[in-house]
Amino acid sequence: MQDTTAFLAADPAGNIFEVADLDVYYDKFQALKKVTIDIPANEVTAFIGPSGCGKSTLLRCFNRMNDLIEGCRIDGTIRMEGTDIYDRQTDVVKLRTEVGMVFQAPNPFPMSIFDNVAYGLRCQGIRDMKILRRVVEESLKKAALWEEAKDHLHRNALKLSGGQQQRLCIARAIALEPKVILMDEPTSALDPIATAHIEDLIEDLKKQYTIIIVTHSMSQAARISDKTAFFLLGDLVEVGETSEVFHVPRDTRTEDYISGKFG
Amino acid sequence: MKTLPIRTSYLRRKKIIDLAARAIFLLAGLIAAAMIVLIFVFVAGRGIQVFLPGYANAQNLGEFLTGMRWRPDLSPPVYSVLFIVINTVITAFGAAVLAFPVSVMTALFIVKVAPKSLRLFFTTVVEILAAIPSVVYGVFAAGSITRLVSGLAAAFGYTTYGGSSMLAVILLLAIMIFPTITSLAIVSIASVDRNLELGSLALGASQMETNFKVVLSAAKSGIFAGLILGLGRAFGEATAVSMVAGNKMFGPTFNLFDTTRTLTTTMLSGLSETAGVDYDIRFSIGVVLMIVILITNLLIRYVKKHIGGVTNE
Repeated sequence: MQDTTAFLAADPAGNIFEVADLDVYYDKFQALKKVTIDIPANEVTAFIGPSGCGKSTLLRCFNRMNDLIEGCRIDGTIRMEGTDIYDRQTDVVKLRTEVGMVFQAPNPFPMSIFDNVAYGLRCQGIRDMKILRRVVEESLKKAALWEEAKDHLHRNALKLSGGQQQRLCIARAIALEPKVILMDEPTSALDPIATAHIEDLIEDLKKQYTIIIVTHSMSQAARISDKTAFFLLGDLVEVGETSEVFHVPRDTRTEDYISGKFG
Repeated sequence: MKTLPIRTSYLRRKKIIDLAARAIFLLAGLIAAAMIVLIFVFVAGRGIQVFLPGYANAQNLGEFLTGMRWRPDLSPPVYSVLFIVINTVITAFGAAVLAFPVSVMTALFIVKVAPKSLRLFFTTVVEILAAIPSVVYGVFAAGSITRLVSGLAAAFGYTTYGGSSMLAVILLLAIMIFPTITSLAIVSIASVDRNLELGSLALGASQMETNFKVVLSAAKSGIFAGLILGLGRAFGEATAVSMVAGNKMFGPTFNLFDTTRTLTTTMLSGLSETAGVDYDIRFSIGVVLMIVILITNLLIRYVKKHIGGVTNE
């Protein structure tokens, strides 16, 4: 735990999220235990750890998707740019436009490519077709899908390949101009080539967005992230520069996990 | 070489069982298809003969299809169905227009809005409603809907024949097809991938926006299948409709408080106490009814394909 506070002291200004003493319970099961971690802005932070370690739970706290799980209870604070997102005054809808999310399996809506990307904007009351067209084009370009999709914008999104669908889901999130994009194992349902596309895309996107990615693949975390946090059984074991966590882990449990002793 | 004690006799038996099972499934499929063909051939064969020369009191097909009177009491009798087709389409679609939105909203409520503890209760109620025999709906309609309608008619300054009317038929059919459409909509809404909903909510949509924009469009196929089944029931219902239609002898009926006549009621009424052309012409109506239902199904498929602005090519 000392390590995380040292990290906080090192760079207090550039943090987009500051998590302090976070406990998350699913009914009686405690999924996260006194987690304190800072998420630096405009970097890629990877959460790694074995299944059930709480990494996805923490991810879902940042856009309050845990609110939708029955029996989920949260103690502690998460501040986004200084504001407590679990405050009663917080507008969850607004929070989710600031903090986008990409899911494990691509989940495009059963509507056209255009309508998928425009969905979030329309839910914000934006109806002007000129604006929608511009944002859809920009978002698809940023998600590296424009060249493939520009001639079929009104085709059903379900006709796209898995990798294209996932890029569409990224475009859909980007369209709302979020500050943060949460990614919950975004490539676990994709083949190696589609995975490489998404990883390249993440590399591009971090210039503009803060990205928090949960991944089961340690090589992926090593390739694309700036910071890595290792979780085990609800504890945040270690967090730091990715190169340090992977090459000179401070905790033996991290070392054991990374070297493949358990998983 | 494998060291496992694989039994070749078992493998041979497996192959034979496979072939036999395939043959049984093929046979079942053929029987089902043959039944449909047989029914159609029999009904059509019998229905067409009244228009053929050489049949006693042969009818004119053109007059049958375009006329606006059904007068078996005249001599010579007049049988024509265009107005009956129009009446049938109006009542069936009228019922669907009333029942469809209510059904979809009810299904959405049961699956997505109602507390979990009530979900099973509501679902059971809808299933029970779907299982009530049509004659029970018929007596209910004859005893209560007709009263409601005649009261309503009086309020508007109309008189009815004891409440037997197009409005009574539409209300009755709407009540009858409501559970059909609802229970199919429940199944299809409940099977929508939870991840689609979460995806919508994560984009800042409210629960209701999610329900209407994402859940319903994902459940579209099942909901329209329910509509097709419901319309099929509305077109095909004879017993209950006969009890409140009034069987008008000319038309078409456009006044909600006027009596009406549908294809099924015409086929049913007096079936057991008639012979000759008056009997055989009911088979001709059967053919017309099958064609009307076929066209309706094609129409709904077309609508389903083009709703929501997604082209599927």
